[in-house]
Amino acid sequence: MSLTRQTAWRAPSRHFVAQNSTTLLALVILVFSVVAYLVLYYQSLGHFPDQYDLTTIIDTALPLAWVGLGQTIVVVTRGLDLSVGGVMSVAVALAASRMHDVGTMILWCVIVLLVGAFAGFVNGVLVAYAKLAPILVTLATLSIFEGIALVVLPQPGGQIPVGLTNVLTNPGHPYALIYLFLILGIWSVFRRTSLGTAIFATGNDETAATANGINVARATLAAYVLSGLFAAVAGLFVAAQTTAGDPGAGNPFVLTSIAAVFLGGATIFGGRAHALGTVCGALVLTLIVSVLFYANVNQLYQAMYEGLLLILAVLLGILVGKLARTSR
Amino acid sequence: MSGAETPVTTVGRGAAVASWIWTPDRRKVVFAWVAVVVLFLIGGFIKSGFASGTGITTILLVASFTGFVATGQMFVILVGGIDLSIPWVLNAAGLLLVTTSLGQDDHALVAVLLTLGLGLVIGALNGIGVGYFGISAVVMTLGMNGVMQGLTLGLTGGMTCDRCTASAPDVVRRAVVGNALGVPGDLFIWLGVTALVTFILSATVFARRTYALGSNERASFLAGINVKRLTVVLYMLSGLFAALAGIALTAFGGQPTLGLGDPYLLQSVAAVVIGGVSILGGRGLFLGVIAGSIILVALVTLLQALNIADSGRDILYGVVILAILLLYGREQNAR
Repeated sequence: MSLTRQTAWRAPSRHFVAQNSTTLLALVILVFSVVAYLVLYYQSLGHFPDQYDLTTIIDTALPLAWVGLGQTIVVVTRGLDLSVGGVMSVAVALAASRMHDVGTMILWCVIVLLVGAFAGFVNGVLVAYAKLAPILVTLATLSIFEGIALVVLPQPGGQIPVGLTNVLTNPGHPYALIYLFLILGIWSVFRRTSLGTAIFATGNDETAATANGINVARATLAAYVLSGLFAAVAGLFVAAQTTAGDPGAGNPFVLTSIAAVFLGGATIFGGRAHALGTVCGALVLTLIVSVLFYANVNQLYQAMYEGLLLILAVLLGILVGKLARTSR
Repeated sequence: MSGAETPVTTVGRGAAVASWIWTPDRRKVVFAWVAVVVLFLIGGFIKSGFASGTGITTILLVASFTGFVATGQMFVILVGGIDLSIPWVLNAAGLLLVTTSLGQDDHALVAVLLTLGLGLVIGALNGIGVGYFGISAVVMTLGMNGVMQGLTLGLTGGMTCDRCTASAPDVVRRAVVGNALGVPGDLFIWLGVTALVTFILSATVFARRTYALGSNERASFLAGINVKRLTVVLYMLSGLFAALAGIALTAFGGQPTLGLGDPYLLQSVAAVVIGGVSILGGRGLFLGVIAGSIILVALVTLLQALNIADSGRDILYGVVILAILLLYGREQNAR
């Protein structure tokens, strides 16, 4: 009796580890990063970081985590969304130029989300129905969205209402953690909806998905809509953090969002990714800045360490995946 | 063609020959060149001087830089890969050229060889990561771009070092921007590259293997192609051409600047695909890539001639790329 119970418990667990090896690896890398951060922080300042420090780090990671959530969903469909940077810029530009008080703030938050979803819709139609390669579509729309951001806000400036900053990124209160869990919550709901299943099935095998009655084109379209929507959310978080508008604010996120997703263990072949991994990736990419700072590494080298980390993490993921497969 | 007297059988054979010559790949190249002509015609109507000798020469000179990086990008896209490390390989190349030569002609040759060597080495690392370790091209080259950015900025102190302020050697400058027969030397370099790459891609075993690998990796492996080694060579070529573009751009501007290579990542990919090369690999002709490079630069120049603000230029640029792709860039199962 106890034996059967044990095997019944062990078999799915080993399967679970093999299936999620890269996500677990991302978690391990995050743990190492946190430890390195704590040790180096303690060494240079003589005490551990307080709640304010930790909240600030998570606040800084939040835009990347949000845009990474959308990017993850697109990567599941074997796509890539380069236009997220443009969508974020439009969101920041709109927030900085249109929000004045609580009323306009709420109104324009809703409009920004709709704009983001619509931007994703355009990408999705071109990818799913016009059958253009995702990297090309989103490359072209990136340019279009950047242009639109410049129309909305020709030069850096504008003002973000204090209310938005207080609600989204207040280093005085640990709201940031709530948003991280919100991202994970959204993901776990998404995974359980029929849409989530359709998107994963599409990414795994389009022919099989079609044979099982899944509308592959619609699932792909939905993935891009979600990516645009979450990029807009990320843009609002950037706006709240910077408290002023910059029509180029989203540019750095084009490549870092991709880095966060693959650091988080997603595979380019689609059908396998987890928001937990992406969130870890976003946190690691944010932590590394502090780690290098407290390790007295010249900040100019920062991009090198990020690049090396990305390559090594993916390489490790490949090795772990091979080990998990051979040991089964 | 003598119309009415032509026997029916010859017409049939003529059609067969026509469909053999008029392949989809060649059709895309023709379309791309038609687009080039149309752009110059529109430009000529809108602004006198656009389609004049000097106007065309200037556009071609700027297009050559895109053309160099696009050539390298094409080699990796032909096998379904992509090289995102181009921007900082290019930028590092420009810096290495001036820091090793310090603007002196007698060091120019060594500096140029070192710079091209840097491109080859970085490309080889990319190729080893992709080919031997199975890291996806996006991740490997994106990471490498970061590594090159960090190394370049770190080693030069954010490009504030004494040597960084040196200029490109005069002999290199003259080779690129100096006139020969009324045409900048750079265009002769581009012509030479074009002739060489066209020959390589149409008449060598290397080309057959590359197209085969792009069409079907497993079949290529089974056919005895050393897939891993070929992958390394292709990424080395991409690095080499990025370094060449870095040299040409530095000579053109006199000094390397921070972010010199940034516009060339997306431009190189766009030029390759507008030129009719499939982003999935295995299909596409080099002559189209040249047309693609000219289209991109002529388009930007045209929008500038129209006095359109930056914002409008960005938007129109994206719309036109999408329009061109919708016209002939559609792929079966492109995802």
